[in-house]
Amino acid sequence: MGVHDQLRVDVRREAGRAILTLDGELDMASAELLQELADGEDLRGEAMLVLDLQQLRFIDSTGLRAILTTLERCRERGQEFAITPGSPQVQRLLSVTGVAEHLPTIATADGAVA
Amino acid sequence: MSESVSAPEETASTHDVAIELLVEAGAVLASSLDLTTTMSHVAQLTVPRLADLCVIDLRNEDGSITEVAVAAADPAIGPALESLRARHPLDPEGEHPVARVIRSGEPELQARMSDELMRSFAQGSEHARFMIDKRYHSAVVAPLLARGRTLGALSLLRLGSSEPYVRADLDLGNELARRAALAIDNARLFSEVRSVERRLEAVLVNLAEAITMTDAQGRMVFANQAAAELLGAGSPRELMDAAPGTIMPRFLVTDEHGRELDLESMPGRRLFSGAPAEPLLVRNVVRATGEERWLIVRSSPVTDPDSARVLYAVNVFENITEVKHAQLAESFMAEASRVLASSMDYAETLTQIARLAVPQIADWCAVDVLDEHGEIERVAVHHSDPRRLELAEQLDRGYRPAREDPLGVPEVIRSGRARIYTDIDQDALAAYARDNAHLALLQAIEAKAVIIVPLAAPARTLGAITLVSSDSLRRLTHADLALAERLGRRAGTAVESARLYTERTRIVKVLEAALLPESLPEIPGVEIEALYRAAGELNDVGGDFYDVLPYGPNSWMLVIGDVCGKGPRAAGVTALARHTLRAAAMLGLRPTAMLGTLHQALRRQPAGADLCTVCLVTLEQRGGQARLKVALAGHPPPLLMDAGGECRKIGTPGTLLGVLDPVDVKEVEVELRTGQTLLLYTDGLPEAGRAGPQLDDERLFALCAQASQATLEGMLEQIERAALEHAGGRLRDDIALLALRLR
Repeated sequence: MGVHDQLRVDVRREAGRAILTLDGELDMASAELLQELADGEDLRGEAMLVLDLQQLRFIDSTGLRAILTTLERCRERGQEFAITPGSPQVQRLLSVTGVAEHLPTIATADGAVA
Repeated sequence: MSESVSAPEETASTHDVAIELLVEAGAVLASSLDLTTTMSHVAQLTVPRLADLCVIDLRNEDGSITEVAVAAADPAIGPALESLRARHPLDPEGEHPVARVIRSGEPELQARMSDELMRSFAQGSEHARFMIDKRYHSAVVAPLLARGRTLGALSLLRLGSSEPYVRADLDLGNELARRAALAIDNARLFSEVRSVERRLEAVLVNLAEAITMTDAQGRMVFANQAAAELLGAGSPRELMDAAPGTIMPRFLVTDEHGRELDLESMPGRRLFSGAPAEPLLVRNVVRATGEERWLIVRSSPVTDPDSARVLYAVNVFENITEVKHAQLAESFMAEASRVLASSMDYAETLTQIARLAVPQIADWCAVDVLDEHGEIERVAVHHSDPRRLELAEQLDRGYRPAREDPLGVPEVIRSGRARIYTDIDQDALAAYARDNAHLALLQAIEAKAVIIVPLAAPARTLGAITLVSSDSLRRLTHADLALAERLGRRAGTAVESARLYTERTRIVKVLEAALLPESLPEIPGVEIEALYRAAGELNDVGGDFYDVLPYGPNSWMLVIGDVCGKGPRAAGVTALARHTLRAAAMLGLRPTAMLGTLHQALRRQPAGADLCTVCLVTLEQRGGQARLKVALAGHPPPLLMDAGGECRKIGTPGTLLGVLDPVDVKEVEVELRTGQTLLLYTDGLPEAGRAGPQLDDERLFALCAQASQATLEGMLEQIERAALEHAGGRLRDDIALLALRLR
């Protein structure tokens, strides 16, 4: 688990998934925390890495970069990647930037792959 | 008379002897207060006129009996008896006449003592043998009675063939004993009193706290050494000899708030007028030297037990100068820190510091700093007296210190070491002065003491703070020096950070200028405006950019973009984006191709993912028509507004640049009609509300509708202001706005 002033990240592993639940705001101040946790050695063995954004209220371009970097790293090491939909602001940013269609999305962190 | 003539010879002579003895005894008893000496004299008076041997014993507190004086006609008897008595003290409960008389308080006459009798009361055989050998045969033992207590006994003895004692001798012995007892009693009382007094005095004299005792007339009846030192006297005696009311005028005495206090408000005086005498905290300045002390004065009354009238006031002066100075220094530094933290304008800050130092530390304060050429520049000066402030300013105008001057501010700046100059005399001034006019100015300032401390930043000395006392009632001490040095360090750090801030702001402005166009080009028939608002006070170089440039004949390109992040790296990416798009525009590439080129350029960056969102718009004017092509790469769509305030978004969302392949961007073409406005903006606008909801489409449209009637410049200002208000005054991200309107 990692805690930042604006962001709290819970990490758990279940059924072959590494699930990072983001709660709060993912921006310049907190993006590094996500980056660090998502790159954790202990998560690399799981078949899939899920960023659960359901509790994420805000994201800016730096936060977006952290998600995209995570996506890229997962591809490099052959790990599946998915997100769950975030708040309207998060979803708006993902769609405005054209990123949404590049991010595999599942309804819930432990749910089926869309 | 005849009877007395016919009286036995011995009686007459005894009578004369008695009177003579008593007179002499009176003299002896009055002459000395040393108990042992007095008793010894009394004993000697009786030998040989009244006795061959005289012994005086005293009863101790524990009831035991001690011989204190022996006088004998035979010089061998005294030491022998003393030795015997020391080895065999009299049993207070025994039958020895001395013990009996001390117990009963009644005199005894043993006219003729047989050997048997003496053996009966002797303290052992050695004592008995002694008495028999020395041929004791007649004795008078009289109690030493005073104030109803038996203090001891006076024994008169006749040895060998002397006349035995008669009744008259008993009376005389008794009288002599009574007088001696009074003397002993007085001596004891006196000794007790002296001992209590000495103990008390020893306590008072040795107390570190100053203590005085004053009477109703204000006379000082007691003072200890600490009081003498505190009140500037050579000795306690000098204080006690001073006329009432002559001590206080040596001092300036004020309360904590600087109000002068008179003698009548001192607790010691208030006691005599029946007023409550609460402890009083006073600031006491020695007029002669300027030395400042903080004292707590406590007074308590000594009252007459009968009339309850106040006889004396005992005044204790607790010197809390160090504590008080430390407290004042702390509150001064707290205030200074507050001032220093309040502004980033260092000249203003230093002016406030100068004001704070006067009159807290000094009578005037000047602050000099090195300018960018290393010259000494006066940035602040303050004096409590405007007339003297003018002098200080004259001095600075006419005789500003040069950086190579051997003394004063330049030396302190060079060495980084604080200096204190006390007792400045005329010779020193003359040596320092450059000419007569300079000397006259220096003299007029009447500096008594000067402290110069470096304005010290962590790595260098930025200038100096000069503190001057020109009032005789203020002395600059090493404590003031230490405080001034702290102030110098604190202010130096603040000035350095203000300077760095100013410098940084300047660099940021330069960088931003490189990222944003200096001016927008003239486009015929089209109005164009831009606005850039950086988030936060410490503006890092932002990642927002915009540009307007020619794009073929009668064509123009408008671009607005946002690079992820802040700081040098973001600035580099921003510059890359702007210049890549400029080059692509010159090559006449289509909007989608221009964005593709930028994407490839970003992908080639070695440092990893650099995101960039761009809204690219081309404007083509042909045959009275203006057509817009809008391409969005991960950027919010621009708004198209009618003159009436109607709004709509233009464009199809496309992929942001720099990370994801392939980039999917579409061009949308619309006509721009007269009076219509196109507004391009960056993320900072919809995301202005950090805590609250963002500016969603509905709010944004409403805002634009409201502003649509204004001039283009006014419209951008209204939108910016609304965004700021929405964000509660603190923008989360930079805002860039670019608008064009067809005339």
